[in-house]
Amino acid sequence: MRPSFYDHLHPPTIPAAQARLRYTLGTGGLGVFLTLVVGFTGILVTFFYIPTPEQAAKSVQELTFLVPFGWLMRNLHYWSAQLLVLVAIMHLLRVVFTGAYLPPRRLNYLLGLSLLVICLFLDFTGYVLRWDEGVHWALVAGTNLVRSIPLVGEGLYKALVGGSQPGATTLIRFYAWHLFGLMLIMMAIGVWHLFRVRRDGGIAVPPPEHRTTHARITRKELARREGLAMVWATFVLVVLASLVPAPLAPGIQEGSTSASENLAPWFFLWVQQLLKYGDPFIFGVLIPLGALLIVALVPYITPQRLSPTELGRWFPHGGRNVQILIAILGGVIILLTLLALLPLLN
Amino acid sequence: MRRGLLLASLLLFVASTYVLWQQYRIPKPIGITPSLTGQAEYCLTCHADLPEISQSHPVETFGCVLCHGGEPLALAADLAHSTMRGGANPSDLSVVEVSCGGEKCHSGTSQVDRDHIQRVITSLQATYAGAIAQVRYAFGAQPDLTAQMGVYAVDGLSAFDPTTESSPVLKAFGSNCLSCHLSAQPLEGDEYSRWSGCSACHSPAPREDGTLVHKLTTSMLYTQCDKCHNRGNYNLADMQFHPRDDTPTDRLHDYYQPIAEFTLCEWTLDCVECHTRQEAMGDGHIYNNKKEIQYIRCRTCHGTLDSLPLTYTINDENDLALRLAFLNPIADLKVGDTILMTDKGEPLWNIRVLPGVEGTTPTYELFSKAEGQRSTFKPVIGSTCQQKPDLQDARYCHECHATQR
Repeated sequence: MRPSFYDHLHPPTIPAAQARLRYTLGTGGLGVFLTLVVGFTGILVTFFYIPTPEQAAKSVQELTFLVPFGWLMRNLHYWSAQLLVLVAIMHLLRVVFTGAYLPPRRLNYLLGLSLLVICLFLDFTGYVLRWDEGVHWALVAGTNLVRSIPLVGEGLYKALVGGSQPGATTLIRFYAWHLFGLMLIMMAIGVWHLFRVRRDGGIAVPPPEHRTTHARITRKELARREGLAMVWATFVLVVLASLVPAPLAPGIQEGSTSASENLAPWFFLWVQQLLKYGDPFIFGVLIPLGALLIVALVPYITPQRLSPTELGRWFPHGGRNVQILIAILGGVIILLTLLALLPLLN
Repeated sequence: MRRGLLLASLLLFVASTYVLWQQYRIPKPIGITPSLTGQAEYCLTCHADLPEISQSHPVETFGCVLCHGGEPLALAADLAHSTMRGGANPSDLSVVEVSCGGEKCHSGTSQVDRDHIQRVITSLQATYAGAIAQVRYAFGAQPDLTAQMGVYAVDGLSAFDPTTESSPVLKAFGSNCLSCHLSAQPLEGDEYSRWSGCSACHSPAPREDGTLVHKLTTSMLYTQCDKCHNRGNYNLADMQFHPRDDTPTDRLHDYYQPIAEFTLCEWTLDCVECHTRQEAMGDGHIYNNKKEIQYIRCRTCHGTLDSLPLTYTINDENDLALRLAFLNPIADLKVGDTILMTDKGEPLWNIRVLPGVEGTTPTYELFSKAEGQRSTFKPVIGSTCQQKPDLQDARYCHECHATQR
């Protein structure tokens, strides 16, 4: 029998030490699972969502309040998307803090990072599709950031928004990006990413002669662990979806241009905070892009210091430089996020 | 591993059961699609027990959202109520145009007497322009008693801003004495409790226990008017409101302040039996004081020694009198009936001329707007009254007819 894609993702055996949860955090598998959940619930939500400014928020309310289990569908879609961002970030940190970005995995590192970026855009476009007062500010501020880019800003803004201000064309464009454009890119890169994992030798491990143990687990055991993780993840999703409803607000009224400042989606709170410090192009576009560039350059910053013999465990010595760099960057982003949340305390 | 799987599955099972229970306890949505909006709304899911606000606003025609705003599809109270206009009171003057206005409703219409909102927002009760002019004149802030300012700006009046007044007395007036106009928050206490805007008069105040009454009415009791009137006085000397200090226990003593003079009909009837729509709600013009708009006199109903009260015979089914009688069906008014009419031509639709013998003094029948009680009365002509026809202020009538209390 020809090996299936399942077999591709599940080698006959893998090293036991590196298959442990405390090493991988299970974030790769969880990411795949959450992607499937968010995709499936997304398809269901699509049957009720109407992408017009007049009907968008209403259709979300109808789904939430009038369709049996519609609230569950929407909340699962919301929470699996939020958890996916969280899990993807944890996956990135795991890779950085275990040095798993070393060649030959540099390309896959970049593929993974681009998946995170696409994931954020998917999340943002999905957030905007609510088309209610809760997203109004982020929609206006977010699209205005594009406008602030010198030379190409205006053109990009028009292409993105479809006019001089957000309206019906914006909504249909965001809808198309969310369901089609971004989704297609995500699927393509996602499959490529998974393919590369195996092609690059599976989970990053030290060369055989440097391993302390040669114990391996079977494909079946791996699948069993994944199954267990999926049940736990489903439990967490169901609990979140039934106890914490996805946000809702009154729809954006036609012709309303003034949006009172609201909190951006949580993963962009740090950018929202940065925007308070000055020029939107510098603080809202250049600095976040700079941060992304730093993360993208991780595998290229003096990689020779990190020896493959150090792989397979947390915080290898040779990767100290990038560990500190990313820790500082992460710390700054967390700090900015907390600062953005500060007004909530008052 | 097995135990872990068992535990996780068990927890997932419990969570799923909770999901089922949560879906089960969601109340069955009760939707209507009002004919005026054509948009489904589900407010009745929670508010099915509310009585219809008035027979002129049937719920299947108007629904809830057309007047109140709000999110018609939301079944979570916070979200559903978040966009309501004027909180529980969509008739507050700040939102009344959106809630009650429109040419099919109560504004922007060329039809006579149907543009209530334009008339109310320029009325003395809403602008308080008369009191503001009087006080500003008294303290030298304006050269005469002409109304120049209202509590808000409106065509013909600028906005009264106490902070820009140089006199500290006028600043005190601004902060202590502007609690009676239609946009003002009432003073603390059940005796002052009322809504703002149209509902100040047309809806009962919240009950003492704080519960609300979903009702619009044109049959207001005197107690509704007394939420602002007859409750005390604003004193120019200290620029404070001084509540009346008696403790009346019956209608005779409660109706007016102790110092007032009035006749039998003035306290046994309710204010709305005599005072007309134009007096209470304005006629679209700016007036300088209450006297200029309050034009009903004793003679409006009773006539004088040399003239009977004005009357007219209804000969059109769209006559205003019939429309008003429809809103408050206390009298079986119909085309062909002769009713009393004011000097300005407003119908006193609840007072009908009884058919009588030609050449004899007519008899009039009055149906009280509040309770529909019927009473009859005669004109001055044919009585023992000797009051000169050109001296018809109430004070002259009170000389003989004032009630003792």
